[in-house]
Amino acid sequence: MSETYAVTVEDVSKSFGSFKALNGVTLRVRQGEIYGLLGPNGAGKTTLIRLICGLLEAHAGTVTVLGQRMPQVAVLRHIGYMTQQAALYPALSVEENVRFFAAINGAEDGVKQALELVQLYERRGSVVATLSGGLRQRCSLACALVHRPELLLLDEPTVGIDPQLRVQFWDSFRRMAAAGTTMIVSSHVMDEADRCQRLGLIQYGRLLAEGSPADIRTQGGSQNLEEAFLALAGRNES
Amino acid sequence: MSGHRIVAITRRLLQGFRRDRRTLALLFVAPIVILGLLGYIMRGSTSAPEVGVANQDSGPLGAIVADGLKSSSHIRATDINAADGDAKLKDGSLVAYIVLPSDFSQQAQAGTVAPEVHLEGSQPGEDAPVIQALQQSMISLASRVSGRSVTFQFQVKYLYGGQNYDTLDYFGAAFVGLVVFFLVFVITIVSFLNERSQGTLERLMASPLRRGEIVVGYMLGFTVLALVQAVEVLVFALAILHIHNQGSVFLIFGMEALMAIAAVNLGIFLSMFARSEFQAVQFIPLVVVPQVLLSGIIFPVSTEPKGLQWLSDVLPLTYAVNGMRDIMVKGADVTWPSLQLDAAVVAGFCILLIAAGTATLRRRLG
Ligand SMILES: Nc1ncnc2c1ncn2[C@@H]1O[C@H](COP(=O)(O)OP(=O)(O)OP(=O)(O)O)[C@@H](O)[C@H]1O
Ligand SMILES: [Mg+2]
Repeated sequence: MSETYAVTVEDVSKSFGSFKALNGVTLRVRQGEIYGLLGPNGAGKTTLIRLICGLLEAHAGTVTVLGQRMPQVAVLRHIGYMTQQAALYPALSVEENVRFFAAINGAEDGVKQALELVQLYERRGSVVATLSGGLRQRCSLACALVHRPELLLLDEPTVGIDPQLRVQFWDSFRRMAAAGTTMIVSSHVMDEADRCQRLGLIQYGRLLAEGSPADIRTQGGSQNLEEAFLALAGRNES
Repeated sequence: MSGHRIVAITRRLLQGFRRDRRTLALLFVAPIVILGLLGYIMRGSTSAPEVGVANQDSGPLGAIVADGLKSSSHIRATDINAADGDAKLKDGSLVAYIVLPSDFSQQAQAGTVAPEVHLEGSQPGEDAPVIQALQQSMISLASRVSGRSVTFQFQVKYLYGGQNYDTLDYFGAAFVGLVVFFLVFVITIVSFLNERSQGTLERLMASPLRRGEIVVGYMLGFTVLALVQAVEVLVFALAILHIHNQGSVFLIFGMEALMAIAAVNLGIFLSMFARSEFQAVQFIPLVVVPQVLLSGIIFPVSTEPKGLQWLSDVLPLTYAVNGMRDIMVKGADVTWPSLQLDAAVVAGFCILLIAAGTATLRRRLG
């Protein structure tokens, strides 16, 4: 029981008006683990990630990140957050964007490495407004990990990324995890889910199932992760 | 041309507005506020300016003119000592004073009277009612001097400004500051709204940046921009338009920097209440036009209806405009209490707005 958790979400609920976006979610993410958040549109994945980095405050329950109760500004230095839509300054170049996010985290020395990781070093001078959607997504990822955070929150990081680069992304995710970085990755893509160490399935703001991809297959009673997921979701529905 | 397709566009536009109640409200509220204000300023019972009368005439005719002035509806005249006149102009308790010299009655009998009109002179348009009142009372004088016509030769003396000042000199001083205030406000409100809509504000909030750091960083960035703009505006105003400047260029800069800081923070603060660029654009006339009307740029604050004077007294632009005129028209330096007050009030507004901007930024987190 001496496991250290990077993130602990304890019976968390969050409503927007009368709408319950999250309803009593409990999950733990170990340090150095890649944790996949799966769920259909509107399930509450983005809301959960926002709660973890303190952008939203839970109405009930607690969120603890790296030993600190959120929201807590001091912890934010160790968190990297890649938003679902590539949130960048369109008038700045790729490098200027990355350098800005490096500067506000006090980590200017990581710029080159981050650009190389997302393979944008050659295009570092391009103005973001002129980039394609996938290139923007890569720039956004570079901005999120430029300060080598201990916890990376990636909200659908591989949407719009071509297959070769996606494979490379996951290689680097795994390398970062091996080096001790904790990652929470939301996704709809099942072959990506298979690359996570553990998965949490969310639907209608509830955690349906949790475990390794193998556990989920067993729980859903199917060798195919997608079918297992649909089976679990269907059980919840009825 | 397909009527169907055109209607589709028209309908789409109106549908958007139906959900955007705030823009709709502003769209209908703004013109009423602006026109109503203008109507009240121009038609409301405008206050008559305070004018002093120093009757030094040893004969009887000076008293007649003095009484005529006191019963005039254009001004509010009171007796003063000529020696106190300039001090009263300086402290702002009088807009003008009139001296009827000791040989006034003799002058009248001789056919040419030369009363002295001392004007404060830093505000445009304040001399008109004084001259008007004086002319009317001179008409009643003419009827008392039997048998001959009397000509008037006012000797007009300006405490500030002077005959060689034209309208542009008065407006220019204020506008040099206003242009910077206005443009910086617009840039800030729009770029802060961009920050929100392109999602980067969310990223900033998830970074170790403190909210105060965001506000102050914005402030510095736009102040730099504003000061470069101020250099341009000032060079153009002084070197090309030849607007008179009695004061120090550095003081003008100082005042413009303060106004820019106030404008940036006003922009940040108000962008919190705008959900879309539409709404932000609506804020611009609603914030800027009443301030321009009430700040004394066009209509002197002292001639506004009393209720509006109260409003003018709590608007930062009133003090900024006054400060700019103090410097450029009156040649004020930092030792002038009135300039110190103006600068202090504008600085106070800056602090208030920084606090308000920071506070509203925090509220959105929860
Ligand atoms: N600010 C908000 N105001 C009102 N409702 C919101 C707000 N943010 C999220 N919601 C609602 O909460 C629910 C969960 O949203 P969330 O963005 O977390 O979904 P998601 O799982 O990330 O979906 P997707 O896969 O489409 O990104 C949705 O129904 C959404 O409409
Ligand atoms: Mg989402």
